Amino acid sequence: MSRPLSKLLFKGISGFPAACSSKIVSGSFYQNGMRYSTSVPNDSDTHDDFKPANKFDGSGLSLKELVEQDVKDNPVMLYMKGVPEVPQCGFSSLAVRVLKQYAVPLSARNILEDPELKTAVKAFSHWPTFPQIFIKGEFIGGSDIILNMHQSGELKEKLKDIAVNQEKSA
Amino acid sequence: MGVTKEQVESSLTSKLNPAHLEVIDTSGGCGASFTIEVVSEKFEGKRLLERHRVVNAALEEEMKQIHALSIKKALTPEQWKQQQESEKPEPAA
Repeated sequence: MSRPLSKLLFKGISGFPAACSSKIVSGSFYQNGMRYSTSVPNDSDTHDDFKPANKFDGSGLSLKELVEQDVKDNPVMLYMKGVPEVPQCGFSSLAVRVLKQYAVPLSARNILEDPELKTAVKAFSHWPTFPQIFIKGEFIGGSDIILNMHQSGELKEKLKDIAVNQEKSA
Repeated sequence: MGVTKEQVESSLTSKLNPAHLEVIDTSGGCGASFTIEVVSEKFEGKRLLERHRVVNAALEEEMKQIHALSIKKALTPEQWKQQQESEKPEPAA
């Protein structure tokens, strides 16, 4: 089992330097059927006092609360560069591919779309890089860690009770 | 701009006193991406997430300029020894 995975790792990383620059953000994410959007129009004419307290319309949440709620509500929560269908970085792509080996629901936000969200997530987890993976509210780590846990069988164990509903009997 | 392999090595060496350290610049020259393997006693009793946090903390300054840091191995000297022994080719019979 570990052999094809090392290939997966290699493929995941090999596309990296060119694909990973966080500076390159195109406007094309919207066409990819995003589950979440983190951008809102920024109305610069509004006086600060009348601006919404946060960017997530109507939810009344600060970014920190939003992240808290994300990781609480979503058994597998991924903060990544790009979206699961079209990752914008080799490491995010690797994390998605590892998690897709399991029949678990995957929720994700694209941090390239929102620098403030990016900062909020980093502060929340005390972790400097992306992707960041949370499982059942627990911060797991980045792509190196998720791959390692996948190879060791630890990830299967961790996802067992989430995957169980969808597991087909052999 | 950018961080050199030597800077990464020197920070990790002074903070983690590693028994083994390998730093590879994977950025293609701009110094924004590294892959590392590190073996240190400081990892003793820590799980992987905590070990990565130790490395991230040791590179706090450098991380401001590094976009991608892949930590391939973060092992204790004991684990490192075991791994090397298991990777040794079997002697021919």
